[in-house]
Amino acid sequence: MDLLTASVTARESAGEPYTLVELAGEADVTNSDSLRDVLDGEVAKQPHMMIIDLSALRFMDSSALHVILRANRVLDRQGGVLALARPREAVAKMLRLTAADQLIPVYSSVQEATAD
Amino acid sequence: MAESAVAQGTFGHAALFYRTEDDYVTPIAGFLREGLEAGEPAFVAVPAAKAALLREALGPDAGRVRFADMTAMGRNPAWIIPRVRAFVDEHSGRHVRYVGEPVWETRTAAELREATKHEALINLAFAGADADILCPYDTARLDPAVIAQAHQTHPELLCDGLREASAAYSGPLGLPSSCSSPLPCPPHDAMSFTYTTDLSEVRALVEKHARDAGLTDARAADLVLAVSEVAANTLRHARSPGTLSIWRDDDEIVCEIHDEGTITDPLAGRRRPAPDAAGGHGLWLVHQLCDLVELRSDSNGTTVRMHMALNPL
Repeated sequence: MDLLTASVTARESAGEPYTLVELAGEADVTNSDSLRDVLDGEVAKQPHMMIIDLSALRFMDSSALHVILRANRVLDRQGGVLALARPREAVAKMLRLTAADQLIPVYSSVQEATAD
Repeated sequence: MAESAVAQGTFGHAALFYRTEDDYVTPIAGFLREGLEAGEPAFVAVPAAKAALLREALGPDAGRVRFADMTAMGRNPAWIIPRVRAFVDEHSGRHVRYVGEPVWETRTAAELREATKHEALINLAFAGADADILCPYDTARLDPAVIAQAHQTHPELLCDGLREASAAYSGPLGLPSSCSSPLPCPPHDAMSFTYTTDLSEVRALVEKHARDAGLTDARAADLVLAVSEVAANTLRHARSPGTLSIWRDDDEIVCEIHDEGTITDPLAGRRRPAPDAAGGHGLWLVHQLCDLVELRSDSNGTTVRMHMALNPL
């Protein structure tokens, strides 16, 4: 996963644990399988909350979006919550145009995402 | 020929040919009033100056009609069907009336091809819908070839207050040749690049050319995403490399992707996918992001030509 890197850390906010996934680079159809493996792996641990930090993601296409939507579906079924944080302008626009931002909350900071 | 309006509860799509203001206002205001009297929701998307004429004619009734400026709402004709669909769905269970004027004389040749294609696709997109659609055409200003295509894309014509079947109508799956025959060739000096798996390289090229052409950061990013989505389809569906061509003139930058895949759905990219849909977001984004998209696809391959204006309005 050269074009795209994903780092996962277990965090805590006000005593509540959450999983932080930081994506960096470009997420497209050529690496969406790897992204799916990472997200599936984390979702399988049944976190209460998972936040994907998009601030270092320069590009995201609809294949990456589908992987994120899929993770959201599974997490939701498990009673967990997925949130997106700090998308760059182009990524934020794409989330708006697909209305994905109406399914998954989008925050301007990770801190804000944990506060809700 | 049958006279009188199409029975309620059925789909209607008629062209209205006008030369004068009066030719325009009288039948359209009549069409709208007839609906308003029956309590039907009405939506009018025409160029702003034309909307002003209709508002004046309707007087206080204009307040019961939703208006949109077609030069914005339909600048890219592929944006129109989703907007009309939203209006129809919003009033689900009721008969609605829609007046749409997507064709005007200052449109470019490519825009006219797409506006005509849009008119043809209306028949497919709204088949069976409880909607009556009226499309005015300015015969004093439009090229006769454009008017001839309107005869092909509309099942009915409205003449002197009477509706009659259009003898030249091509059917719900028919397209006038201007919007189904191959696109005009790219200029000889167009840049061409073949890709197999590296979409990052495709995006970098588009971004460089978009910036060189003077697009803003946001619009360059729009074009990059659109081209990348189409090129991603090559990797997903075509079993061969794809070709990216880029060119520009004084007015626009154009990116074209050609591959050996096939897109069979004529309405691809003109239906808003459910946010949670497992597919369909790619071509939706492409159409939403670009100023104009032309798509040709058959068993030999697919060409998607994406236009971005250098000086958008």
